Amino acid sequence: MNDVSFRVERGEIAGFLGPNGAGKTTTLRMLTGYLAPTSGEVHVDGIDAVRSSIEARARLGYMPEGVPLYREMRVFEYLRHRAALKAVDRIAEAVDRSLELAGVTDARRRIIGQLSKGYRQRVGLAESLLADPPILILDEPTSGLDPNQVRQFRQLVRSFAGTKTVLLSTHILSEVEAVCDRVIIIREGQKVADLAPGDSDTSLEDVFADLTASRPSGDAS
Amino acid sequence: MRSAWVVMRRELGSFFVSPLAYVVLTSWLVWNGVVFWVLTEFYARNAVASGASSPLSAFFGGSSLFFIPLLVFVPVLTMRLLAGERQSGTIEPLMTAPISEAAIIVGKYGAAIAMWCVLWLPTVIYAWIMSQHGTVDWGATIASYFGIFMLGAYFMAIGLLMSALAPTQIIAAVLSFVALGVLFTVGIGEFVFDGTAREFCAYVSMWGHMQSFSKGVVDTRYLAFDLSVATLAVGLSIGVLKARRHG
Repeated sequence: MNDVSFRVERGEIAGFLGPNGAGKTTTLRMLTGYLAPTSGEVHVDGIDAVRSSIEARARLGYMPEGVPLYREMRVFEYLRHRAALKAVDRIAEAVDRSLELAGVTDARRRIIGQLSKGYRQRVGLAESLLADPPILILDEPTSGLDPNQVRQFRQLVRSFAGTKTVLLSTHILSEVEAVCDRVIIIREGQKVADLAPGDSDTSLEDVFADLTASRPSGDAS
Repeated sequence: MRSAWVVMRRELGSFFVSPLAYVVLTSWLVWNGVVFWVLTEFYARNAVASGASSPLSAFFGGSSLFFIPLLVFVPVLTMRLLAGERQSGTIEPLMTAPISEAAIIVGKYGAAIAMWCVLWLPTVIYAWIMSQHGTVDWGATIASYFGIFMLGAYFMAIGLLMSALAPTQIIAAVLSFVALGVLFTVGIGEFVFDGTAREFCAYVSMWGHMQSFSKGVVDTRYLAFDLSVATLAVGLSIGVLKARRHG
């Protein structure tokens, strides 16, 4: 990773784009404190996330790539456990509210290991909403969802506009166009663009291809 | 430390819904039941045949049958603690929750100690059986359990450290097995060497440790050893988690 500087304003929904292996997940892991950057700074809601990692993490809802969950637990048990870890005040209420928001209330008593990928994905989303955090960081949140679930998810994320800051990584361009106010594109660990999807005359697809398509080596241009 | 308690509760909950828990507990009890039976049988035939004064003190400290299974059961119990989380990827939500590395490790260690106690709890019935058919030195029995607790304190800490270091559960189990095996083997040096080497080996010896406790002697040198190893291993585990954030 090298020179990826960006700032997401409060209430903004930002898309984080890049080809596979560009360093999207690594960047998000640095933001959430899972990995420490070797140099540079990370600020979360004005807090230095390298020095005061725990305070910064308390303000984040994070849905990691692949949504790792404890498979042997029931959905509500898992959410209760996570709410307790996050020192949420009214655990029962918080669990009900995030189950409702993520649309998994009907699966609350089911064992996570027996759920379909789409359901597990939404359990991960519910988990990230537990503490009602001001900032949400979602790593490929719609992979594994069917088209209806994708639509529900987009509506949910849109409903956060203005109240929560959302940073979502994806490589689905239509998703970015549908939900994001802003797009940050990285390539090979470097930021190559920071724009609003409606900004340019060309489509996002062209912009993306232009910026990230791998050029054959030895190309002199 | 409230978050350590939350981590510990989940760890124990997951352990006791896994088939592994019941396989371990059952085979452990079968093994110990056979050992206890063999020892009792032996003492019934040959009064005061060995150094140990009763089947109970032989059970807790006189026989190698006590240690061999521990070298296997401890790694099996501790391998999941952190290596399991790393393998399933759940380490990521755990490490990005707003809790300290120390809270994670203390919670995991607490869970391991609780598992250790659950492993030993049913053996109290052996003391009760003995008390029905003879006399039991309760002082020595309590000292034995205290010794077992202290032994567990450092065994589990070593298992935890190996689980923090290893990328997979199997590797964690093998590393703990090797570490405990080395400690056990060094202890045997007590019967091989002379002079300072003998002193050193006797100090490390699990055997010497339990023999002393099973006679009702609470030797503070052994306690110092147990506590130092446990503290060191737990401290190092916290360090390993912190270091992992740096790649």
